[in-house]
Amino acid sequence: MTKPIIEVKNLAKNFGDNVVLKDITEQVNPGQVIVVIGPSGGGKSTFLRCLNLLETPTSGEVDFNGENLTTLDPKRVNELREQMGMVFQNFNLFPNMTVLENIKLAPMKVKAVDDAAATKRAHELLKQVNLDDHADTFPSNLSGGQAQRVAIARALAMDPKVMLFDEPTSALDPEMVGEVLNVMKELANQGMTMVVVTHEMGFAKSVADRVWFMADGFIQENNTPESFFSDPQTERAQDFLSKILM
Amino acid sequence: MKKKWVLFLALVIALFTGATMTGTTAHAASDDSLAQVQKKGTLVMGTSPDYPPYEFQATVHGKTKVVGMDVAVGEKIAKDLGVKLEVKSMSFDSLLVALQTGKVDMVISGMNPTPARKKNVDFTHTYYQGGYSIVINKADKGIYKNKDSFKGKTIGAQTGSTMYNESKKQTTDTTVKGMTSVSDLILGLQSHKLQGVAMEKPSAEAYVSNNKELASIPSDFDLSASDTSASVAFKKGSTSLVAAANKSVDQIKKQNLVNKDYLPAAGKYLKTNTVNTSMLHYWKAFLKGVEYTLIITVCSVFFGFILGVLLALARMAQGGPLMTGLRWLATAYVEFIRGTPMMVQVMFVYFGLGLVVNLPALMSGIIAISLNSGAYVAEYIRGGINSVDKGQTEAARSLGMSRGYTMRYVVLPQALKNIWPSLGNEFITLIKDSSIVSIIGVSELIFQSNIVRSDTYRGVAPIAVIMVLYFILTFTASRILNFFERRMQHD
Ligand SMILES: Nc1ncnc2c1ncn2[C@@H]1O[C@H](COP(=O)(O)OP(=O)(O)OP(=O)(O)O)[C@@H](O)[C@H]1O
Ligand SMILES: [Mg+2]
Repeated sequence: MTKPIIEVKNLAKNFGDNVVLKDITEQVNPGQVIVVIGPSGGGKSTFLRCLNLLETPTSGEVDFNGENLTTLDPKRVNELREQMGMVFQNFNLFPNMTVLENIKLAPMKVKAVDDAAATKRAHELLKQVNLDDHADTFPSNLSGGQAQRVAIARALAMDPKVMLFDEPTSALDPEMVGEVLNVMKELANQGMTMVVVTHEMGFAKSVADRVWFMADGFIQENNTPESFFSDPQTERAQDFLSKILM
Repeated sequence: MKKKWVLFLALVIALFTGATMTGTTAHAASDDSLAQVQKKGTLVMGTSPDYPPYEFQATVHGKTKVVGMDVAVGEKIAKDLGVKLEVKSMSFDSLLVALQTGKVDMVISGMNPTPARKKNVDFTHTYYQGGYSIVINKADKGIYKNKDSFKGKTIGAQTGSTMYNESKKQTTDTTVKGMTSVSDLILGLQSHKLQGVAMEKPSAEAYVSNNKELASIPSDFDLSASDTSASVAFKKGSTSLVAAANKSVDQIKKQNLVNKDYLPAAGKYLKTNTVNTSMLHYWKAFLKGVEYTLIITVCSVFFGFILGVLLALARMAQGGPLMTGLRWLATAYVEFIRGTPMMVQVMFVYFGLGLVVNLPALMSGIIAISLNSGAYVAEYIRGGINSVDKGQTEAARSLGMSRGYTMRYVVLPQALKNIWPSLGNEFITLIKDSSIVSIIGVSELIFQSNIVRSDTYRGVAPIAVIMVLYFILTFTASRILNFFERRMQHD
């Protein structure tokens, strides 16, 4: 049996009186693609952000490669974050830098990669996301779909072991959703371990190894996409699916 | 108004000295003032050089220096002590504070040894016995006879001077207006805001002989000897130094050196001074002013900015009690600096800090303005940092960048871009506000213009010149800042 790359044990998180995550225990194996779906406000983003400690869990633990993030010193957390790329709904590209500079910044500053090597790698990644002709463009001149693909390239530049996606296509015009999902699919085919929060059911059906249905602070259901969509086990999931698949 | 600040400052400094006194009582008991000056090899004289012929600025071989009969007196004392004389210029109001805080060793500035002053400093015997005159416009010559002719009128005198106090006491129904510099008073006279200006007789004569529009009348003030005589002031308790200086002063008196040598020599400087009163002739003085104004501004902006960044970061520090303490301190600092006048801060750094370390005026000015500017810049930067979207920080952190790197490479550059216009305004404000350091005698534009004014006996022209110079500076600065702002607008 392979060792899980991420293990979540009894994770709980509250903001003041607002209990968002109640008790979550799950694991992600190397190469797996997990799709997290669930109603808005259910705590999906919070959960994802707990995985790389952008949000500090209130209790429980998050293990990455066997190391419990919640007990590590900040320096080690930074090192482990390098191995978990994250893609945000709003891209969060650095507006004052060109596409190329966006991608090169972290490898050069954090990993001390030299300029030539970082540039070379950045161009490779831009080719991978079909944007090599936009290397010197500033983010404000990119379409949403292009910006999100740059954001993916930027995260990949750190050579992460896991990629976290938080609704990567939700802020996009419909005609641009496809180009981003294609990049993600390719990534999955290459064997990248991915945790994806999304409302794109098609993507979940065709790419996911497991679907986690999250609501009310719990993972209500952990299932294969086939069973989840054809035969959801919980009433909560049935209810959710009936609403969005109408 | 300035007087009040001086009082406030004196109070603060008194507290300061009170606190440090305990450590130095051993010193105070045995007076070693003379030995110390001799060990130093220099005698520092403080004076307010806008009071010809006592002391004023003159151009000698292309260099501006302070001359006048008081300087001659100072030179004599220094020579008799076998040390070098160093002259420090500052406003009359600041002189005694400078003496008490050890910025200068003695004050010679046509100062009368009044009982009030005697409480705070030690005086030598008098080296000169003058009298008071009132300078008026020549056109009014028939109208005013003496101090009693100014009923319902306004006369002026130098703030903090004996004339000022006596004018108040000895006139009825006359408004007495105080100004710091005699040039300003003369200007007030010529623009008819004042009908007369009370000053010492030699000064009055110097002004009248150099300006055909003016005339002088006797004051007829009822004055005691101590009100019309001039003495050298030393720090309280410097008995040995006073005794040594008295030997020189007595010689000056006995040989009538003031009237025989010093005054005629001063008169000659006055003549060379007023030969050419065109502003162009004084370009060097103005250039020096521009230079110092720029030095002060650029240095203060630089250090103020660094301080501002540090303060802004400290104000946003989060974590344990140490961080909370840091945040609290930074907040207190910013509030305090923003809640006190820059002028007081400048004087505090120069005189107050001077008790601990002896800083030159220019450096004190730069420090004070940097400290001040830092507080304002901190607030801009804090606002700028808060204006950067939180997503930027999250993206950077998710890439493994540390808190520090995130701030340095992602947040600060964007924050700076957002607040660039505010920082630019701060820079331009500093160009103008740097004028405040003129009170501690730094040769920036205002200070230089005052010198030119008292040199040339022309009130308005130098002001017009520096107005234009200031405008050129600020205008150029804002063009340059705009240029950079446009360069940052690529996104
Ligand atoms: N920083 C925060 N401070 C306080 N409350 C927060 C914070 N972040 C999230 N929450 C609250 O936590 C709850 C869950 O939010 P979260 O964003 O995780 O849900 P979500 O499932 O991602 O929803 P959506 O589909 O809208 O993105 C919400 O009630 C939200 O208001
Ligand atoms: Mg969300």
